Amino acid sequence: MPRILRRLPLSLRLPLLGAAMMVLVGVVASQQVLSALGRVQDARLRELAALHVEGLSVALGPLVLRRDVWEVYDTLERASSESEGRRMILTAVADDAGRVLAATDPRRVPVDSAIDRVAEEAVPLDELSVGTSESIVRLIAPLEYQGRTVGRIVTELDVSDLQRERLRAVWLLLAGNALATTILAGLGYIAMRQMLRPVSTLAQQMAGAEGEPQPIAERDVPPGDGEFARLARTYNSMVHDVAAKSQIERRLAERERFVALGRLSSSLAHEINNPLGGLLNATDTIRKFSDRPEVVEKSAELLERGLRHLRDVARVTLDQNRLEPDGTLLSVDDFEDVRLLILPELKRMEQRIDWCAPENLIPSPELPAAPVRQIMLNLLLNASAATGPEGLIMFRTQVYDDGLEIAISNSGPPMSDAAQARLLSDVALAPGGGVGLRLVRDLVQELGGRIELARADGLTTVRVFLTARKGGADA
Amino acid sequence: MRRNEENGMKWLTRRAAIMMGGVALATLPMRSVAQTPFRLGLTPVFLDNDAVIIDRLRQALAGAMGREIELVQRRTYEEVTGLLLERSLDAAWLCGYPYLQHRDALDLVAVPVWRGKPLYQSYLIVGARAEAASLADLRGATHAFSDPDSNSGYLVTASDLIAMGARPEQWFSRAIFTYGHRNVVRAVADGLVQSGSVDGYVWEALEKVEPDLTARTRVIGKSEWLGFPPVCARKDVADAEPVRALRGALMGLSRSEPGRAALAALQLDGFQEAPKGIFDGIAARMRLLDT
Repeated sequence: MPRILRRLPLSLRLPLLGAAMMVLVGVVASQQVLSALGRVQDARLRELAALHVEGLSVALGPLVLRRDVWEVYDTLERASSESEGRRMILTAVADDAGRVLAATDPRRVPVDSAIDRVAEEAVPLDELSVGTSESIVRLIAPLEYQGRTVGRIVTELDVSDLQRERLRAVWLLLAGNALATTILAGLGYIAMRQMLRPVSTLAQQMAGAEGEPQPIAERDVPPGDGEFARLARTYNSMVHDVAAKSQIERRLAERERFVALGRLSSSLAHEINNPLGGLLNATDTIRKFSDRPEVVEKSAELLERGLRHLRDVARVTLDQNRLEPDGTLLSVDDFEDVRLLILPELKRMEQRIDWCAPENLIPSPELPAAPVRQIMLNLLLNASAATGPEGLIMFRTQVYDDGLEIAISNSGPPMSDAAQARLLSDVALAPGGGVGLRLVRDLVQELGGRIELARADGLTTVRVFLTARKGGADA
Repeated sequence: MRRNEENGMKWLTRRAAIMMGGVALATLPMRSVAQTPFRLGLTPVFLDNDAVIIDRLRQALAGAMGREIELVQRRTYEEVTGLLLERSLDAAWLCGYPYLQHRDALDLVAVPVWRGKPLYQSYLIVGARAEAASLADLRGATHAFSDPDSNSGYLVTASDLIAMGARPEQWFSRAIFTYGHRNVVRAVADGLVQSGSVDGYVWEALEKVEPDLTARTRVIGKSEWLGFPPVCARKDVADAEPVRALRGALMGLSRSEPGRAALAALQLDGFQEAPKGIFDGIAARMRLLDT
């Protein structure tokens, strides 16, 4: 099948194939009709020629025997003037030696000339045919009288009217077939379109308005229990399943932010609770030594530092919840916020961290803050969980013109296959496993970035490459 | 006795009846003879293909003679002459040549008058675009004669050739007989033959009624004036009533309306007694042929 035909939609291809078949049938049928017409014309021509020859044989037999030139000519003249539609445009009669006795056009075929001169390309009666090339056909026939051949007759027949008739038939057939084919192909197209409408609807709905499969409206589902009806219902069921799955995934991802915070909450509570004792002591000290300005000043400073720390912790926690995806752009503060969020957890786990965040983002890759913070937080939490108590965690960043590289290493055991699958592939999540790493993968993919996993010198390193969006600042 | 009388009466009656029947039978053939149509033979000396001309002539003669006229046509002069000689015809419109051939058995009844004279010519014709200018140029040509017994349609050309020291069968590559002067004109006009010998009167008459036909021919030679084809009868009946009636009818054609119509159709002026020596020219040519 030609490539261009394969590119056409099925609803156009099938009617076109139908039309092609119609044309083929039309051509074959026309050929048959023309062939039959040709046979009829040939038979008619032969019959006419046979009558002509027989009539002349009867009339001319004795005259040819006597070699009566004038009578032969006179008879030919009268016969040709009475012949049907002047079909016989020339008739020449020769004696048995092949010498012309007379012809209807004596100047062209003189008396006593050789009949062979005019008999070139002449065919016997049973081979006479209208043909298509020559408008004049020549017949040669023996002139028989009283059972013996006494001479020869050569006749030129004008078959141009028969050829015109055939040509007219060709045109009529062409026009008729073209019209019939057009009408039938049009009807076929409409019928096929009607029959294939469920397929078109299915294709449209699969492509969806926003690239997501849409269910087929109930009114568009073909009635009954045919293939298309079953197909539509199965498709709708699949679309609903897919929609439900992605909704669940969205919900899980949403929840993951809170999960991360949840995991941090106890550490954060400690972070708030621990200074509270110091702060309360400071207030007691102020009350007790209100008359000693230097003590009050010192306690107030202590109080302020403690409150500032509490304020920072509260702000970071609130920010993490408030941040909207694609909202504000990433800044150096976000790295510090993440550090603030993770530090209590690391402290609780008695883990060390080698933190190396950029001091500024110059050049400034335009990346949204929320997903990048979520990626860093999830990876740090994962590293913390993987490395175990007293482990080492390293945080490195590299800023490029058009992006950012974040590398988080831990000294724990190598990453499990299940965790790798969640981080590096799209395979379905196994029940029971966390969704933190899968969320990292989804977010990185949404940002058009990539993830690399490496294991070297007892360290497991996850590298995330994020590419700045063009025009992201305007978003 | 009475019985005998009765028988005698019966016998007489029967005899009378038989006699009466005999008289009746004797008179029937006589009436039949009186009603026999006059049989006039025609040679193709004129426009023999025109049924109207034939019919007008028949009507004119029948009206003048007071009897039915049967016009008998045959293909050749020989056939008509033969019918006349064997008494199947009462008279015939022959040609000067067959008349002279059978001069001892035939007598002249009347001679047509054409353009004021009882004379005509033989024409030698070729196709309108032919280059030949005389009989001498026609050596090796195909030629059409009218009839071997025709003066204008054969004798004149044949005798001219003999005078030139040639013979028709050698001079022409092929000579055909068309048995009709109009046919000679057709054969030449259509190109069947290159030349022809034709009755000058017929050619001139055709020029009036079929100018398209004669326009395709050209006269390249005319003979001397010769005696017009005469109406002849056998010598033994030349003075008999029917022939005399015919002579009278022919002579008087110009005096009756049907007669004038027939003469107009024939393009003739009338008929007259044959002047003495009118066929001497033809006789001279015959002698030439016999040499």
